[in-house]
Amino acid sequence: MRTAAHRANARKLILMAALVLLAAAAYLLVEVNPKYFSYAMSLRIPKLIVMLIAAFSIGGASIVFQSIINNTIVTPCLLGMNSLYTLIHTAVVFVAGSGSILAANANVSFAVDLVIMGVAATLIYGYLFQKTNHNVLYVLLIGTVLTSFFGSIQSTLTRVMDPNEYDTLLTTLVASFSNVNSEIILFSLAVLAVLIFALRRDLALLDVLTLGKAQATNLGVDYDRSIRRLLLGVTLAIAVATAMVGPISFMGLIIANLSRQLLKTYRHSQLILGSVFFGMIILVAGQLIVEHVYSYAIPISVFITVGGGIYFLYLLLTKRRV
Amino acid sequence: MKVTELTKQYDGKTVVDSVSFEIPKGKVLSLIGPNGAGKSTVMGIISRLIARDAGLVDFEGQDISRWKSKELSKRLAILTQSNQIQMKLTVRELVAFGRFPYSGGRITAEDEAIIDQAITYMELDEMQDRFIDELSGGQRQRAMIAMVIAQDTEFVLLDEPTNNLDIYHATNMMKIVRRLCDELGKTVILVLHEINYAAFYSDYICAFADGKIAKFGTVKEVMTRQTLSQIYKVDFEIMEIEGKPLSIYY
Repeated sequence: MRTAAHRANARKLILMAALVLLAAAAYLLVEVNPKYFSYAMSLRIPKLIVMLIAAFSIGGASIVFQSIINNTIVTPCLLGMNSLYTLIHTAVVFVAGSGSILAANANVSFAVDLVIMGVAATLIYGYLFQKTNHNVLYVLLIGTVLTSFFGSIQSTLTRVMDPNEYDTLLTTLVASFSNVNSEIILFSLAVLAVLIFALRRDLALLDVLTLGKAQATNLGVDYDRSIRRLLLGVTLAIAVATAMVGPISFMGLIIANLSRQLLKTYRHSQLILGSVFFGMIILVAGQLIVEHVYSYAIPISVFITVGGGIYFLYLLLTKRRV
Repeated sequence: MKVTELTKQYDGKTVVDSVSFEIPKGKVLSLIGPNGAGKSTVMGIISRLIARDAGLVDFEGQDISRWKSKELSKRLAILTQSNQIQMKLTVRELVAFGRFPYSGGRITAEDEAIIDQAITYMELDEMQDRFIDELSGGQRQRAMIAMVIAQDTEFVLLDEPTNNLDIYHATNMMKIVRRLCDELGKTVILVLHEINYAAFYSDYICAFADGKIAKFGTVKEVMTRQTLSQIYKVDFEIMEIEGKPLSIYY
């Protein structure tokens, strides 16, 4: 069905894509000294790509996650990947020291993050799904408990840590787009591509899955299987984004809801695109402001957390039915 | 469709106890009984939403668990009570989901024609572009039925379709059930709480008590003073209106 609303949404998405391009161009070209053009590009292009990948995985994962849970005010933060990330980094610095190759080398540190988070996600959530008879809400509850569990261990570690070590650690615990290199980018792209390929059938079923278990089953869809696979995919996508830029998945709440508000549709192909584009605009434009207006004084995650918090309150207060 | 020795336990408590019956084709069959008698569980098992512990559900010569879910969804449609749809979905888009088993996400011209028919049949033409969450309970229920019609199945299973509807909408719903059977030739199986709706609009009634079938038969056979009093454990009077037995309980 190609309805008028569908076409209007397609136009909105094209406009957003144009805005993304505009923001990207501005990010690359603002205040570039022509003398050092290629040097500036070698710094800015990898950062831009990282932001785009992070926005892509967080935007996509958030919409999918909300649709699986059937609730539009949840974020994949609830799965505990953020606090697992902070725990991994704290533990590495605590055990091996900030000078060790595990903490200092970005490639190694990325690999460690991804492997631990990927294995933990697969084991914990794969197991929980069977144990709880595919009850997503239990899984969510346990995710919340795990979040505070990881958080408690992490804060215990930081309490007994050398203050100097803690200082170095702190910089890796806030989202940032510096210190990325091309190997990480290629590797993340490969992981995401495999993920999307493996889940392509389940992603195509998202529209039907949101009708709920009974209706999806009625329409011939294996609901439990698809939900389990998608939830695993969400966790891994968030793990990739977090390992790459740090804990930032709270942004998912904002961009997913902005996309739902703007597009007012059930079609996930459009919702996901909208959410991804919003993420790209926010990250790239935000980073542009951070670098050129505030000269790196404030990290972008501060803006996202403050803005996201206010938007979250707005959502809670205006939604009658949650 | 034939059910044999169906059994289901929850935490050691038997809620469905070797239930066997055969569903007559092209008729309306109502499952009635007090709360906890097992009628909804039986409905859930024959619609593959609930796993059974023992027994067979034979559908067209093959057990229901051996059918491919996709094939089954072209033969058997289910409508449950919980229809809280959180998405921004218009009536027409909801009805279009009924075509999913046939054409996946891609709606063909033929599908469009069937969707149009279903919408007109349920008199939803004027509100087909409205969002589901803006409709009243009765309208939403009609939209769900339109989706079931678009699904174009021989069997339709409805779990308490009159629940939460006022007398006007509930009666309309029962008339629709009758039309699904008489005009569209579908076999309709429904779980009902109101005995008199079952009596007036069904061909057959299957009455449950304590997880077992207390009585299965035509409306006249089941709607007797003795049977109903035994099942519900209250006093009944049976009257006849338009040639159909109706009950009064007090």
